[in-house]
Amino acid sequence: MTNTPFDQLGPVDYLVVEFPAGQSNFTGEMAEELLKLIDAGTIRLIDVLILQKNEDGSVDATELSDIDELGDLQAVEAELAELLAEDDVAHLAAAMEPGSVAGVLIWENLWAAPFASAARRAGGQLIANGRIPIQAIIASIEADDAALAAS
Amino acid sequence: MPLRAARVGRVGVIGHPVAKTAVVAKAVSPGRSPVAKTAVVAAAVTPGRGLRRRI
Repeated sequence: MTNTPFDQLGPVDYLVVEFPAGQSNFTGEMAEELLKLIDAGTIRLIDVLILQKNEDGSVDATELSDIDELGDLQAVEAELAELLAEDDVAHLAAAMEPGSVAGVLIWENLWAAPFASAARRAGGQLIANGRIPIQAIIASIEADDAALAAS
Repeated sequence: MPLRAARVGRVGVIGHPVAKTAVVAKAVSPGRSPVAKTAVVAAAVTPGRGLRRRI
């Protein structure tokens, strides 16, 4: 990870993608799309972990560097920071089903950094942020459509 | 596999146990296909059309 000054750091997000037992189909497509985002300068990958939640609830964590054939992700791995701590692994795995595997990604939204810096320089401070699930938007639109149809 | 030493004993950044996203089920609920639904959303958020505002 580069030494970006904190006042120039873009928003940092995480996601946990769970693959239920026996339902994974890794073709390399995910890595390919991730690399596109990195190469385009849209995001900076900060940390990656692969978690396996066992049937007894225990969690095994695998580092990207522990994977034998990383392919194009090899260069990315060298730039990762080990941001996630032991506590985080437990917190993130709380959402996982026993027997599942999950990929955890932490990334900086580089695309948002210049605007965030400008807002800070203007004296602004972030007081709320979040993500609206696409499903919530769908539900809202469908409710509107249903109301229109009923009227 | 044990965690790297650098991850142990540090202050975490997540802060609390994460809850599973509950809305995922809606994406696979019966009705219009997810592809059709995505198209509806894309159209609704296209500049010039916009979502109807209720507030």
